Amino acid sequence: MALLQQIPVPLLAVNDTTLTVVEITRRSGEPVRKGDQLMVFETSKTTYEVVAEADGFVEFLCEVDGDYEVGAVVARIFSEAAEVATRQAPAQPGRSEQPVPPASKDIALAVWEGETLFSQAALQMMEARAIARGSFAGRDFVSARDVEALEAGLKKPATSAGNPSGDGPARRQRPVLPADPSRVIIEKLTSGKRREIEYLSEVQSTGLTSTLHTFFETRGIFGHINHSMQYLKNSLLPVICYETSRLLRKYPALNGYFTGEAVAYYREVNLGFAIDIDKGLKVLKLGAADSLSLPEIEQEIMRLSNQYLDDKLDIGDLTDITFTITDLSGEGVSFFKPLVNKMNSAILGVSSIDEQLKRCTLSVTFDHRVSEGKMVARFLSDLKGRLESYQSRFHPAVHKEITCFKCFKSLQEDLGDTGFVQCITPQGQEAYICQSCLKGF
Amino acid sequence: MMQAIKINHRIIKEALRIRKVEEKFLQLFSQGKLNGTVHTCVGQEFSAVAFAGQLKKKDFIFSNHRCHGHYIAFTGDVRGLLAELLGKASGTSGGIGSSQHLCHHNFFSNGIQGGIVPVAAGYALAGKLKNNGAIGIVFIGDGTLGEGVLYETMNILSKWEIPLLIVCENNFYAQSTPQHINLAGDIQARARAFGIRTFKGNTWEPELLMEQSAEAIAFVRDQQKPCFFQVDTYRLNAHSKGDDDRDPEDVALHRQKDYLHIFQQQSPSYYQMYEEAINQEIDAMVEEIFKESDLPIEKYFQPSTRTDDREWKTLEPVNKRQVELINTFFQEKLVSDERTVFLGEDIHSPYGGAFKVTKELSFLRPERVFTTPISEAAVVGISNGLALNGFRPITEIMFGDFMTLAMDQIINHASKFHHMFNRKVNCPVVIRTPMGGRRGYGPTHSQTLDKFLVGIDNVKTVALNTFIDPALIYRSVSSEEHPVIVIENKTDYGKKLLHTRPRNFTCQANGDPYPVVRISPAVSAPTLTLVAYGGMADMAASLLETIFSETDLLAELIIPSLISDLPLDILTESASRTGRLVVLEEGSPFGGIGGELIAGVTEKADVKIRVRRIAALPVPIPSVKSLEHLVLPEKNRIIQELKESF
Repeated sequence: MALLQQIPVPLLAVNDTTLTVVEITRRSGEPVRKGDQLMVFETSKTTYEVVAEADGFVEFLCEVDGDYEVGAVVARIFSEAAEVATRQAPAQPGRSEQPVPPASKDIALAVWEGETLFSQAALQMMEARAIARGSFAGRDFVSARDVEALEAGLKKPATSAGNPSGDGPARRQRPVLPADPSRVIIEKLTSGKRREIEYLSEVQSTGLTSTLHTFFETRGIFGHINHSMQYLKNSLLPVICYETSRLLRKYPALNGYFTGEAVAYYREVNLGFAIDIDKGLKVLKLGAADSLSLPEIEQEIMRLSNQYLDDKLDIGDLTDITFTITDLSGEGVSFFKPLVNKMNSAILGVSSIDEQLKRCTLSVTFDHRVSEGKMVARFLSDLKGRLESYQSRFHPAVHKEITCFKCFKSLQEDLGDTGFVQCITPQGQEAYICQSCLKGF
Repeated sequence: MMQAIKINHRIIKEALRIRKVEEKFLQLFSQGKLNGTVHTCVGQEFSAVAFAGQLKKKDFIFSNHRCHGHYIAFTGDVRGLLAELLGKASGTSGGIGSSQHLCHHNFFSNGIQGGIVPVAAGYALAGKLKNNGAIGIVFIGDGTLGEGVLYETMNILSKWEIPLLIVCENNFYAQSTPQHINLAGDIQARARAFGIRTFKGNTWEPELLMEQSAEAIAFVRDQQKPCFFQVDTYRLNAHSKGDDDRDPEDVALHRQKDYLHIFQQQSPSYYQMYEEAINQEIDAMVEEIFKESDLPIEKYFQPSTRTDDREWKTLEPVNKRQVELINTFFQEKLVSDERTVFLGEDIHSPYGGAFKVTKELSFLRPERVFTTPISEAAVVGISNGLALNGFRPITEIMFGDFMTLAMDQIINHASKFHHMFNRKVNCPVVIRTPMGGRRGYGPTHSQTLDKFLVGIDNVKTVALNTFIDPALIYRSVSSEEHPVIVIENKTDYGKKLLHTRPRNFTCQANGDPYPVVRISPAVSAPTLTLVAYGGMADMAASLLETIFSETDLLAELIIPSLISDLPLDILTESASRTGRLVVLEEGSPFGGIGGELIAGVTEKADVKIRVRRIAALPVPIPSVKSLEHLVLPEKNRIIQELKESF
């Protein structure tokens, strides 16, 4: 007789305090073997499969579509079938008599085999809410906070609309229905959408955000950029990622977040770029982007996009993003206000290039509790300057006469970024030579 | 038979050298080249020459604020003295001590009146225990006759037959006050009352004084007994400088009587020759010393950095009472280490001390276990002297409240010797005492005065508890090179190790020399950091379950053993996690360890921590049980204050 494994809700992404059980692949009481898939969780960003780590009999303490707090035990494996049977059917989220271990992030996942001690406050709450002591089996101490956490873990407010006290920090509203409900079609929010609301609410709901826009000149810019690009020709995203990540070192306040009482500055620059091609909106991570070269950034963008399309993203590709770029340049947008993600302090939006005016709008929405307009304006101005430096640097009219004396390529035509070398020809004339002719192809 | 000593020119030159050195000091002082102050012995030099000059090299001297003459006569180290007063690194105490705090081989001086007498007694006792034939002299002035510790020590000197010669230089003034205003009775009668042999002489008859002093020294050495010598003399200069209200006629009269003056009159050419040679010698030294540099601060002070051990090991109960464990360790220590000496009131067996901690010790090694008179100051002073002279004294103060009687010896002597003598000496004295109430002993036998002890520089204060084997702690204490005070607790003596084991908590200790105990919830994360030490630790552990039940706060209890240097990293980590920090103290809170601990943690923590001190009420501890219970921190008040705070 032994409890072989407890399966808690895993901490997959720092932002996810709850996960949704999207699939339970076995039934309580069934024998399982080590390595069998038991259930699937969904985070805001990916899915996660849980497999058995021991041979035994599984007991589920959760249901499909239920949201459970990280750390809450949602399944267990016992050595004997009888042990499962004594524990009744799985918990109904929202009710409390069943033995569902509570959720609390602080709880170590070790199991306590001794008796459980309850604080008086906890006992009072349990009595008021008809929660049995057995609900806390395997715990050393149960405080009022633990009872609250248990309740929170049991509830499934998202699926039972109208319950305002819910899981986590998402501020859910009472549903607004027309007088005649038949006039509308009500479709349940996906858990992904619910989390999107939660994440964007975190910063935006304070109302303390502001957005600044600027534009940068794009005339002649791709000649230069495309030269460095292998796949993503005529795309601004790689170079914007490249320049932004470097610039963020200078503006740490934009690479951090407001903790509630302090400002946290991330030590790394993990740039996120939003992508939404049929598979839902995701933000993919360019880890340590400030240390990647431009070709490396391009490669990484390609790799992540392919993973996204193949549904093969790792959790690591989606988490710990410190600054986000959302690129709507393919959508004909002239300017827009991007929304800051949870645990970020700013986001950069890239609009479409205006082909007539040869310019493109950059927009930064920022958390005013962390930074302020003047700083962001400087950031935008710096970014604009950096991007415009990719334009052909020399005005054609001025430098027309600079050509390689060997291959007669003009400086304007040259796509390298080193320029030409002044030299003396074998005839003793002052002239210019291009890098290709100087070093050989 | 004593060899008769005739006054000869060597003696004259020696006295003249002392005078010229001191006159040089006065000159340098008036030129603003001396920092601080000097007390000269001009007029008293022959006392220095007669006593200090006739000792053997293995003998020792303890002197006072007026010590230059004794120093030169005993050590001959004029240069070290000059450099010391000029504040140079090559000075005998590196410039730290200056005029009053000299140390050179077996010469020591300190500026506290009377405090050196028991230290000298301890030093002499050490010599007697070593049986090396060394004796010592302690110089006092007639002003010091007002200090009580002198009489405590004379009583012990006589009773224990300690070979120490007390030389009382009677110059008839205590600073500026004439003797008749402050001194009652007879000087020699004071010593005689303790059964100590006395001598009397004066500096106006140096030949006679030389003979008498030689006789006194021989008596002390041969008989291995103390002796008291009154030397009448007269200081021709002010107490220090310019603070002289004496009748000028009286001073002038004594100037005529001064033997060096008479010698100058009778043999002017010799006097001039000697004076010139000495002045030349001094001037050359001073010129050279001026070019030297001061001691750099790094050589004087190095900040200590404490790093806490983080290897936590689970503690197991021991089925022995704390007092047995201490006693067993002491028995083993006494037998295995010949440097160990025990002192204390009533510590002889079969009584074995008021709390039986020293039981059996005097049966095992009677020669190194001293049951003492009720003289805390002298006993701790003697312990200091033993420690300076190579022994490892472990001294019991019967009740913690009596520590105040020994404070001068701890603060002005034990604590300072190492540094003020520029790290030439260590004073590894151990003073142990039981504190704590809950026994109904009332206001003067129940107080916990740890807060008065933890702020003494260079002294460690350790509080035993019922979780760590006291032998482990005393082993660490025994290997210290500097003074340690160990606070035991009366109510803990009878408890067995780890007899309080709260349910669902784990008890662990780290590997520090003075281990930190951590009692944490077995699985759950704590929501309160509770700190207790000494006698409060056991009580705090017994309350953990109740605290959780009644306040909903799940505490992690941290128990430091070394309370003069707190495990701030461990405390800060815990408090940063829980966000709440409470310190339990058996003393009253103001200026206490709780305040110090909370300040230390707050300095280190990056997060806001809510704090509280729960301590004794700021009144003497009543004897009546109901009130004693209320004055000391007890269960109901602790729970109530926790509820109010969080």
